[in-house]
Amino acid sequence: MRYAKITPYMFIMPMLLGLILFRFGPIVASFLISFTDWRGTRPPVFVGLGNYLEMFNSDVFWLVLLNTFNFTLLYVPGVMVLGLGLALLVNQKLKGIAVFRGIYYLPAITSMVAVALVWNWIFTARFGVLNHVLRTYLGVSNPPNWLSNPDTALLVLVIVSIWKSAGLPMMIYLAGLKGIPAYLYEAARIDGANGWQQFRHITLPMLTPVSFFVLIITLFDAFSTFEVTFAMTRGGPLNASTTLPFYIYNNAFNFFRYGFSSALAYVLMVIVMILTYINFRMRSRWVVQDAY
Amino acid sequence: MLIEKAKRGIATPQFRVQVDNVRHHGVTLTRHTLNYALLIVTAFLMAFPFLWMLSTTFKTQSAIFSLPPMLIPDRLFTPDMFSSYERLFAEHNFARYTFNSFYVSLMASIGQLITASLAGFAFARLEFRGKNVLFGLLLATALVPIEVTIIPEFLLAMQVFEPLFNFFGGRWIDTYNPLIVPSFFVGTTGTFLLREFFRTVPRELEEAAVVDGATVFHIYRHVYLPLSLPAMTTLFLLAFINNWNALLRPVIYVKSPELRTLPIALTTFQSEYTAQWDMLLAGSVVTILPLLVVYIFAQRYIVEGISTTGLKG
Repeated sequence: MRYAKITPYMFIMPMLLGLILFRFGPIVASFLISFTDWRGTRPPVFVGLGNYLEMFNSDVFWLVLLNTFNFTLLYVPGVMVLGLGLALLVNQKLKGIAVFRGIYYLPAITSMVAVALVWNWIFTARFGVLNHVLRTYLGVSNPPNWLSNPDTALLVLVIVSIWKSAGLPMMIYLAGLKGIPAYLYEAARIDGANGWQQFRHITLPMLTPVSFFVLIITLFDAFSTFEVTFAMTRGGPLNASTTLPFYIYNNAFNFFRYGFSSALAYVLMVIVMILTYINFRMRSRWVVQDAY
Repeated sequence: MLIEKAKRGIATPQFRVQVDNVRHHGVTLTRHTLNYALLIVTAFLMAFPFLWMLSTTFKTQSAIFSLPPMLIPDRLFTPDMFSSYERLFAEHNFARYTFNSFYVSLMASIGQLITASLAGFAFARLEFRGKNVLFGLLLATALVPIEVTIIPEFLLAMQVFEPLFNFFGGRWIDTYNPLIVPSFFVGTTGTFLLREFFRTVPRELEEAAVVDGATVFHIYRHVYLPLSLPAMTTLFLLAFINNWNALLRPVIYVKSPELRTLPIALTTFQSEYTAQWDMLLAGSVVTILPLLVVYIFAQRYIVEGISTTGLKG
C-alpha cells in the first residue's frame, strides 16, 4: 500500500481527538483541579496542598480508605476463587454444558441497578428470603439487619459484587484451562497422582499467567467499584459502606466540591498505579514463566 | 502491552489427548450424575436472584410480605398475572425509557465501531511516527478509573460544550450527547480487538486492490471491513451491553425525566416506590430482558469477544 504520510493520522484522528478530550486532557486537568478550591458555580481558587491536607486530617477519609481496602481484600480473592471454581465446573465435556456456562455468566451482562434491587429485597431484614432461610433452616435466632447495620453493609456489597463479576474471570480461566496440554494430566495419572494433586501441581501452576491477568483486572475493578454502592446503600449507614470511588462521586456530584474530589481521585489513581506496579514486580515470584 | 502479555499466556496451541476411554463404565456414570448435581446446584445459586425477581413480579402485595416467603407467586397464570408490567408501561413511561436505552446504546455502539475500526486498521496495517507510543498510551489509559476523568469531563461539558452549543442554539447538558459522544470516541477495547483481528488478515487479500490503484480508505472499507464482520459483531454486542447498563454518565448528565435510560429510571423509581417490590422488580426484568434475548442468540460472539480481549467492552 502506498499512501501519503498524513493518511494514517486521518484514520486515528477520531480516536485521538476522543483520547485528548476525554482521557489525557481530564487526567491532567484533574491533577490541576486538585490544587484548587472549586465549589459549585463559584470560580476556582488556588489552595496548594489544601485539599490533600484536609483529606489526611479527615476521619471520614481514613474510614473510606479502610473500607476500600477491606472491600478489595474480600472482593479480589472472592472473585478469583469463584471464577476459577466456575471455570473448573464448566470445563467438562458434558451435554448441555454451554447452558450452564451461559447461566453462570448471566450476572455479568445484566444491569447492576436491576440486580441490586432484587438483592436489596433478598437482604431485607424482616421479610427478606435470606433471613427467612437463616431463621428457619439454619437456626440463627436473630439474623442481622444486613443493609442498615454498619458491620454488615460493606459485606453485602462484597457478596453482590463477587456474584456479579465472577463471570468474566470464569471465561478467562476457562480459556486458560483449555490451553493446558492433556498429556500433562496423563503423565501425572500414570505416576499415580490423584485429582487434588493434579489440580495442585498441574492446573494451578499452569494457570498462574492467567491468574496474574485476572488479578490485575479484578484489582482495578475493586478500586473503581461505584455502581453497587450507588444502587444498594448509597454508602450508608454512616459511611460504613462508602469506598473511595463512591466518595469521589459524592463529593463531586452531591456536594459539588470539584477540587476536593479531584484530589481524592488522584489518591485513588496513585493507589491503583502503585498496586499494579507492585504486582508486575512480584510477577516473577509466583507466575510460572514458561507455563506452556 | 499488559493485555498482550497476559494473552500470550492464554492463546497457545492446544493439545488434546483422549484418555477417558479406559475408565470403567459404571464409575463414569456416577461421576456424571455427581457432576450434573453440582452444576445444577451452582446454577440454582447463581440464578436464584433472577428467579426470585421474576417470581416477585407475579405476586400481590400481601403475598410479597408473607412469611414464610411464597415460592410460587399467587398471581401466576391468573388473568392479572402481568398487572405489574401493565402498570409499569401504562403509568410509568417505561416504554419511553426502553426506547431511550435502545437509542443511546445503538448510537454509542455504532460510533465506537467507526472510531475503533479506523484506528484499529491504522495500528494494524499502516506505518506512522509515534505509532507504538500512541498504542501504549491507549492501553495505559484503560487502567485509569473513570472516577479520575469524570470530574474534568463534567466541567468541560458545563463550562465549554454547553455555552458553545448554546451559542449555536443547541444544548449539551441534558441531551444524549454526553452519553453518546465520549463512548463514541474512546474505544480502547474495541481498537485493541480490531487491531488484533486485522493483523490476522492475509496481506495477499489487499494486493489485488492495491494493483487496481485503490486508496487506503477503499482498502479499509472494501477489503478489511467486510472480512471483519464477526469481530465487528462481537465488538458491537459488547459495546451495546456496556452502554445499556451504563449508570455514571446518565446519573450526572440526564435531568429531564423523559430522557432517562432504564438504569436511571430504575434508581429514581426505587426512591419513589420503596416497598412496591412487584413494580420495582418488574422494572428490573424489563431492563434485563432485552439483553438476555440478545445474549441467548449471540452467545457465541460475546463469549468469543471476552475470551480474546479479557475485557468487558
